Amino acid sequence: MSAFTEELFEAARPIWEAQLEHPFVQGIAAGDLDEEVFRRWVVQDYLYLQEFARVFAWGAAKADRLASMGWYAAALDLTLHTEMELHRAYASRFGISADELEAGEMWPTNRAYTDFLVRTAADGDLAELVAALLPCAWGYAWIGRRLAEEDRPSDRRYADWIETYASAEFQQAAEWLREEMDRLAADTPSDRRQRLLALFLLSSRYEWMFWEMCWRGEAWPV
Amino acid sequence: MLARVGPLWEEMLRHPFLVETRDGALPDATFARWMRQDYLFVEAAIPFMGTLLAKSPAGHRKPLADAIAAFHSELGLFRERAAAVGVDLDGVWPSFVCHAYVQFLLATGALASYAEGFTVLYAAEKAYHDSWKVVKSGIDPGSPWIGFVENWASDAFAGWVRWLETELDGLGDQAGRAERARMADLFETTVRYEIAFWELAYGRAEGWPGIREVA
Repeated sequence: MSAFTEELFEAARPIWEAQLEHPFVQGIAAGDLDEEVFRRWVVQDYLYLQEFARVFAWGAAKADRLASMGWYAAALDLTLHTEMELHRAYASRFGISADELEAGEMWPTNRAYTDFLVRTAADGDLAELVAALLPCAWGYAWIGRRLAEEDRPSDRRYADWIETYASAEFQQAAEWLREEMDRLAADTPSDRRQRLLALFLLSSRYEWMFWEMCWRGEAWPV
Repeated sequence: MLARVGPLWEEMLRHPFLVETRDGALPDATFARWMRQDYLFVEAAIPFMGTLLAKSPAGHRKPLADAIAAFHSELGLFRERAAAVGVDLDGVWPSFVCHAYVQFLLATGALASYAEGFTVLYAAEKAYHDSWKVVKSGIDPGSPWIGFVENWASDAFAGWVRWLETELDGLGDQAGRAERARMADLFETTVRYEIAFWELAYGRAEGWPGIREVA
C-alpha cells in the first residue's frame, strides 16, 4: 500500500496544481509580481506565522512520543524566533517596517484559515493536527522546489523567496511532517482517515485562497 | 478493559467505605470527609465535560450536555445533605488524591483524544454506579445517605452508564492499536484513583506528600 501522504497528495493534486498556476505564484516565478501585491503577502504571512506557531505548541502538548515532542518544540522556536526574524528582515527589503508588520490586520481569509488551524489543533488528536498543518509546510516546500526547477527571476528578492522554500531545511521539515503523518495514519482506521483527508483538502483550499487573497486584496465587508 | 482491571474492580467494590456505609457502621465524620472531597471532584467534573463536549461528535452533545446538568443536580444533593447533617462544604482544601484526580481528569480532557477522555468518563461513572449498587444492597432506607444511593444506583443512572458503555465500544472499534492501548491505561488509572478516593475518606492517602497536616 502506498504511503498515506501519497494518497493525500493525489487527492489534493488539482488544488496544489492550481496553487502553482496561480498568477501570484507565477508572478514570483517570473519575477514580475507587482510589489504592492507582494507586500500584502509579507504582512499577512507574518500574521499567519504567529498563529501557526500555536499549532506547533499544541503539537508539543499532544505528542505521543519524545521525538515528536522535541520536533514540535523546535518548530515552535524556529517559527517564533528565526522565521519571524527572517520575515522582518525580508519585509524591510520591501520597505515594510517591523511596526507596520505588527500593526497589520488579518484579512478574513487569513483569520478563517488560522482559526480553523488552531481550533483543529486544540480539539483534534495529533493526527488531525498534522493533517491540517501539512498543506502549509509541505505545500510551500513543494512549490519552492517546483519553482526552483526553473531559472531564477532577476529580482533578487523573489529569487530569495524561492530559495527559502526550496532550501534543504524547509524540505527536511516537510519530509519529517510527512513521515509523522504516515506514522500516525498507520494507527488510524480507514474511516477516520477520511477525516484526515478532509482536513488536508480543506487546508489545501485555504492555501490556494491565501494566494488569491493576496492577489486580489481583501477587506472586511463591514 | 473491565476484564483487565478485574481484581482492582473487585477491590474497589469490597472497600470498607461501601460496606460500612451499607451496614450503617461508618462514622459520620468519615462520610463527611468523603462528602467534602467528592463535592470538589463533582465541581471539577463540569469543566472536564466541557472539554469533552468541545471534541464530541454531534450525536454525543445532548447526552453530554444533559450530564453537565446532572452534575449540577448532584452538587445540589451534596449541599442539601451537608446542610441536613451539619457539614460545611465551603472553603475545603482538596486532599492530595482529590487534587491529583482532578488534574488527571482535566489534563486528559485538554490533551488526549476524545475517545481517551470518554474512557475516563465511562470508568468514573461505571465505578460509581457499581459501587453504589453495593451500598444499595442492604442499606437502611432511613439512612441519611440514601439520597446518594438513589442518585448513583438508580435505573436512570444505569441507563446513562449503559449508553456510555455502548458508545465507548464504538469508539474503541474506531481506534487504532496505540490509541486503544492508551484507553486501557487510562481506564486502569481512573479505577486506581477511584479506590484511592474511598481510602481518603478514612484519612488515609489524604495528605500532601511531605506535609503533615491538611488544612
